[in-house]
Amino acid sequence: MIHFDLLKIGNSPKITTAEDVRADLELDKIIGIASNKDRLVAETWLEVLLLRDSSEDIMRYRQEAVKDALVNREAVQKMYLLAREAIEKARREVFIPRLDDPTLVVYETSKGIEILVDAVEKLLTILTSAKFSSKAFSELMSSLTENIDSEFISSARNIAKILAYGEGIDFSVNIGNYNCLKNPVLLVPKERNSLISKILSIGKEYTFSIDPRDEAGLQVLADIKRWVLSQIATTMLNAYNRLRNFFEDLAKQLSFYIGVINMNDFFEKIGLPKTYPEVNPRKLSFENLYCLSLAISTLSKPTPNTLDSDVDGSFAILITGANRGGKTTFLKAIGQALLLTRAGLFVPAESFIIPTPGAIYTHFLREEERRMSYGKFEDEIRRFRSIVDSLKRGDYILMDESFSSTNPVEASIVAENIVSAIVDSGINVAYITFLHDFIYRFTNRYSKKTVLLVPERLKDGTRTFRLVRGFIQPGYAMELWRKISATLSYSTSPSPTV
Amino acid sequence: MGVGMEYKSILGERGRAVDEQVLYDLRISELLEDILGRERDEFLRSLYLEPLNNEEIAVFRLNVFRDLMRNEVYNAVENFVEKIRESIDYIELEKEAYEQHKLGLHLDAALSYIEAIESFYNDLKVLGIRSQGLLNFLNYLQSIVESRSFRLMKERVYEAKKARDGIKIRVKIIGNRIKVRRYDEGEDLSAIIKNLFSRFKEGEVEEVKHISVTSEMSHIHAAILEGAFKFYRKEYEILKRFMEDFQKIVDDGVMRFAKEVKFYLTYVRYMKKVMQPEYLFTIPNFTCDGSINVKNFYNLLLLRSGRVVHNDISTDGVKRVFVITGMNSGGKTTFAISFGQLAYLSTLGLPVPATEASLPFFTSIMTAFPAREDPRESMSRLEQDITKALKILKQANSTTLVIANELFSTTTSEEGFQLARLFLSELNRKRAYCLFVTFIPGVASIDFTISLVAMPSPEDPMKPSYKILPGSPPSEYMAVRIAAKHRLLYNHLREMLR
Repeated sequence: MIHFDLLKIGNSPKITTAEDVRADLELDKIIGIASNKDRLVAETWLEVLLLRDSSEDIMRYRQEAVKDALVNREAVQKMYLLAREAIEKARREVFIPRLDDPTLVVYETSKGIEILVDAVEKLLTILTSAKFSSKAFSELMSSLTENIDSEFISSARNIAKILAYGEGIDFSVNIGNYNCLKNPVLLVPKERNSLISKILSIGKEYTFSIDPRDEAGLQVLADIKRWVLSQIATTMLNAYNRLRNFFEDLAKQLSFYIGVINMNDFFEKIGLPKTYPEVNPRKLSFENLYCLSLAISTLSKPTPNTLDSDVDGSFAILITGANRGGKTTFLKAIGQALLLTRAGLFVPAESFIIPTPGAIYTHFLREEERRMSYGKFEDEIRRFRSIVDSLKRGDYILMDESFSSTNPVEASIVAENIVSAIVDSGINVAYITFLHDFIYRFTNRYSKKTVLLVPERLKDGTRTFRLVRGFIQPGYAMELWRKISATLSYSTSPSPTV
Repeated sequence: MGVGMEYKSILGERGRAVDEQVLYDLRISELLEDILGRERDEFLRSLYLEPLNNEEIAVFRLNVFRDLMRNEVYNAVENFVEKIRESIDYIELEKEAYEQHKLGLHLDAALSYIEAIESFYNDLKVLGIRSQGLLNFLNYLQSIVESRSFRLMKERVYEAKKARDGIKIRVKIIGNRIKVRRYDEGEDLSAIIKNLFSRFKEGEVEEVKHISVTSEMSHIHAAILEGAFKFYRKEYEILKRFMEDFQKIVDDGVMRFAKEVKFYLTYVRYMKKVMQPEYLFTIPNFTCDGSINVKNFYNLLLLRSGRVVHNDISTDGVKRVFVITGMNSGGKTTFAISFGQLAYLSTLGLPVPATEASLPFFTSIMTAFPAREDPRESMSRLEQDITKALKILKQANSTTLVIANELFSTTTSEEGFQLARLFLSELNRKRAYCLFVTFIPGVASIDFTISLVAMPSPEDPMKPSYKILPGSPPSEYMAVRIAAKHRLLYNHLREMLR
């Protein structure tokens, strides 16, 4: 049996909140570049990016194939085109509107088999002239050459000929209930027109013809043909489906690498750095990480971020501070890079090291949730609940202003309960939040696991859109109060002295 | 085929046609829809519309049910009837068929018939049946099986079948020409295709269906068979002689049995569909002391719409008039109709929906339900009610059951009470049975009546329990409590309007 697997998707389903992740992390922009308007590429990228399961092995397997595809880009493109064209030609020329006409099914599928067998032959030529080195592509090549030879090609063509439109049928049959015909078995026709066979059949054959004016008789004859062919129609249809499925499978798997080639071209055009990520259970580290969707929107290199942090089981990145400082861009950059990493793709950074190849979930504030109400809060909690059901150790959850639909005092208690539980369960969190009670209590309790980031502001007040480490300053607000009142020579009275 | 023994009907005797009004009021027609399902046999339907004239026949039928309610007996009978039906169908088809097919149809008719008779006879012998009805038929079968003509037919039919099974031909269809010859050898094309394409992974698995649009016994088929018979001369002779020697196949008595026994099979099938641990059927037991003791009876029609409440009814036979009062929509009418249906079924000699059922054999069941308002009707409703009541009284006797629903309700309750007392006293004097549904509570206190009350649900006194239990009519009225709930009683209104 022919076997190849360029993607290693396995049985992994989509992550449960795939649509949220897709929207929150602006995946459509990324996929738009990869697909370059090819719908199949877009579908495959979306699927691979949002798979629930992955592992370091799978990631490496795909990375190797990605590099291989970039080296053999011409062969990959040719094979993809061939597969797409074969499918398209079959779709155009093979017409099976219904499954209750065996004669039609047999004629049409034999046409289809002929088209696809031609393509199989061409595919072999392309493959054998390329120089693939990755496990994924080598397996494709060896499996095909082992299973397909010239004998297969000629047998398949012969079958298509025997069952082509206009040919007669030859079958054996028994007599059953009502003296009706039963158990028809379609046979390989005997050599026709041989003089010897003609002489031998004299007296052994009972021949009759149906009068062309006997319409009922001709209808019966057509029906008998359908009946006999129905025994083989399913077989033919499934043979054709197997062939078509092979090309569809091939096209789908190759489409991922077509996207790789397109994305590579985009990186080069914009001048984004390209790195193949690594996994290190004790590290979360990246250097000049760019937000890919922002680069796509602006067609330029946005401000990159750098972070280097040790990881002990799991981590929490809390991001707070002034708006329009690059917080959400940062969160998206991490999320996108994590998704690309799991898919085996290169990421826009100088280096990218993550502790696990876990799944990525997002819980971003919805605009309609900005208003405070317990109804909204319940919606938010419900949405969060649906993520929790699928979270596993090693996964990532990216939160943007979660639990803002109730007052910060109680929201903090909720956030603290939730985030502590998540981190203690070995799940990683990156959370943009303004919940000060939460930030204060959490960073104290989880100081070893937490990185607090704030937008960088230069001494002159300029924003750099870069995030830097921030620090908790207890009593800061009171201090600030005093400071400012002092500056303004304003005295609050009666005020307690510290 | 002469057998020399007379067939005795499995139905015992026929009954008399039921009164149309009773059919309507007790919703018997709807019940028959459920019992008969898609069965459109008019003979069968008429049997269900004929209450029996005497108890003996009802017991005769109930005893047949006792046997048939055992699965193994039921299956044996059903199987038999189906095969006999098959045999009859073949013979019907013969009339229109070509000579070549006639030979086959006749053979199949005989095959089904012989198998039906033999296997049923053998089954029935060892199943330990006890009913007179089935024992009669067993004797009848024995006389058939032991007859010389049956044994001879059996010998010849197997010879003919063996001959037919030996025929195998090779057919070639080219254009409108057909060639037939004896089959010698050939290569199965389907197997070759399957093997060839198995190297490709399975695609979408689809099944091509063939639906014959023309007859399987056409002149074309006949011509092919003629070809076949040319090369299988001996086999043809055997088939032909069988048909000539055994023209009549199905015995008349057997045919009648197959038709009549459907009365039982249909009902057993219906019971099986209904039966669950809480919905059982029982064989009614006819009392001679006038007592009634029915436990856990329920309404078969309501089963369609979900769970149904069980009720009991009993009397030692001294008091025979039941007065049913209680909350609105509390199941009073359903109770009366259910009991009426149960009584009706018992008079057909059918098992009834209850766990235990002792009751008199009612020689007539009559109903008095409120007339639908009909402006064309010259009589007022009260007039119609009284007319009905009097007609009933004229016919009533000690084996009459009267189901009366809200009779005399279109007058003052005092007058209604007077009318009811008159009507019921008369029925009582005639020792007739009556279920009298009324909202006039006084009727329940008449000394010769048994008072039954529709009880509220124990959890929520606003809702009915659909339980009808012996007791006095409630002293508190639901409508008053509902008014209180909405604070609309005198004191509430006073307080609010103050």
